[in-house]
Amino acid sequence: MRNKILTVDDSKTVRIIVRKAFKSFDCEILEAANGVEGLAIAAKEMPDLILLDVTMPVMDGVEMLTKIKSDPQLKGIPIMMLTAEGGKDNVLKVAKIGVRDYIVKPFKEDVLIEKAGRIIELKPLTDSKAKARSIFDPATLLVVEDKPAIVQQIQEGLKTSPWKVHGVSTLAEATDFCTKTPPDLIMISLSLPEDAAFTLFRLVRTNVKTKYTPVFGLVVKTDTGSQQQAQTVGFTTVITKPIDVSELESKVAKAMNLDTSQRYFTVESGVLIMRVPENCSTSVTAEISTYLKPKLSEAVDAGHNKAVIDVHLLRSLHMGVIKLLMQAMQTSRDLGVHFTLVGNAHIIAECKGFEDTRTWAFFDTLEEAKASLTKVPAAAPAMANAGT
Amino acid sequence: MPATQEISENLIRENINRAIGEVFVTMLGRQAELCVLTDQTNCWPPIPVDGQTSQPQIVGTVGFLGDVNGLIYLYLDVSFARIATSHMLGMTEEEIEEAGDEVVNDAIGELTNMTVGCFKNGLSDAGFPCKLTIPTILRGSNFSIEPIAEVQRYIYKFQSAGQCIVTDILIKVGE
Repeated sequence: MRNKILTVDDSKTVRIIVRKAFKSFDCEILEAANGVEGLAIAAKEMPDLILLDVTMPVMDGVEMLTKIKSDPQLKGIPIMMLTAEGGKDNVLKVAKIGVRDYIVKPFKEDVLIEKAGRIIELKPLTDSKAKARSIFDPATLLVVEDKPAIVQQIQEGLKTSPWKVHGVSTLAEATDFCTKTPPDLIMISLSLPEDAAFTLFRLVRTNVKTKYTPVFGLVVKTDTGSQQQAQTVGFTTVITKPIDVSELESKVAKAMNLDTSQRYFTVESGVLIMRVPENCSTSVTAEISTYLKPKLSEAVDAGHNKAVIDVHLLRSLHMGVIKLLMQAMQTSRDLGVHFTLVGNAHIIAECKGFEDTRTWAFFDTLEEAKASLTKVPAAAPAMANAGT
Repeated sequence: MPATQEISENLIRENINRAIGEVFVTMLGRQAELCVLTDQTNCWPPIPVDGQTSQPQIVGTVGFLGDVNGLIYLYLDVSFARIATSHMLGMTEEEIEEAGDEVVNDAIGELTNMTVGCFKNGLSDAGFPCKLTIPTILRGSNFSIEPIAEVQRYIYKFQSAGQCIVTDILIKVGE
């Protein structure tokens, strides 16, 4: 359920700043311009947190606070003062009535969020409401690793992606980076000295801005102790060194909940093209397989009944790929989509060697495959045949 | 001894300098520097841009009441007030223009509230507890605000990225 935050301040400016500060979190902001309005809204809405000014017309914040604390139904609502009324005596007097925190204006939005996050669960909007991001959208990845070669390897491996990879080598640099520009994903070397990886993980999870950020552990295969510890404390996943960059890329996309379908599926001139990449690892076949039925259904729904299954980039055939291609062909048949195959000489030769694939017919180029489909009537899909 | 006589000009200057500095850095993301004046009367009337008396001004006012009583006027050029509002609210200058004067008035009222709050919290911690009043706003060109006779007056001029800000502090005497 969404958190409700009630801001009680006679200044519209402060109420706008509060609204702005919480806009990236899944919470509802309620507003009141004085204590009387504040009490009425508090009783009606039962907010999860009240931000309260002191100096206001009609009823000031101290009176409203006193009334809330004497009301059995409202007294449990946490209250944080947000006021220009500082000074030790004032703060002590208000604190005695019962407040969870006290912010003296001027204030930074970050401080407000951090303190509010200690009282209520602040969930970033991206977790629930924001639309799915695509593999082609920019993102910031932070690598916390004291071995520059590893950082360089990751940067080099992901250079074709739209992601920016920042490398830092110490706990202090990492926390500083997370405070200034919260990354979309963090990779931490589990071999940093003095258990810094686990200290950093705890800090990341207690910071409201990075609470839900995926965190990967980087470790050598033989260090099973650290791998187990990372899994126990809640690291999103562990990447073993030497790093398989394509595997890493796939795991990063999955952890960030990115829509990667555009990498494998496109519609060109009314034809759905399914592209199988050069290196088709287990995770890649699983990823394509997940999108297969939704993408073919989407194409049919949009009036396209032709598809090309393009494996011309593929280096070698293995059982995972064969199963994927069979699944693609069967799903096409089930949905009444006409399809053709495109392959390279090596793959075509390999197909001849298996019982299940020896009858598959391939075109050499995408253009030839598409041209063969032009003979198929556009609006009347029929049972398809592989190849021509 | 009346509180006013115990409060030195030095304490006033330090507090207003700290208040303006903190509020400008935190809320507007810019530094503000106190201009050294040999003669405070050089600062009066407190016009935002030297020699341009016809520039429209916006003046925020917040008082403080308690062991020491007084009020502070914060003078800003209207064009600077719009920039400050835009920064505080995360709105474009076009959006501010569309939203109207009321939004700018409220933002400058709050900026004054924070500044005077910061100033009087310093006085409170120095042994002169007092409370804030609700902000008010005055707009216009070529006007002057004259205090009554029984006040001690302190005028300070600040510069922030080419903009001039003047604080006019009035503290009631004989209490």
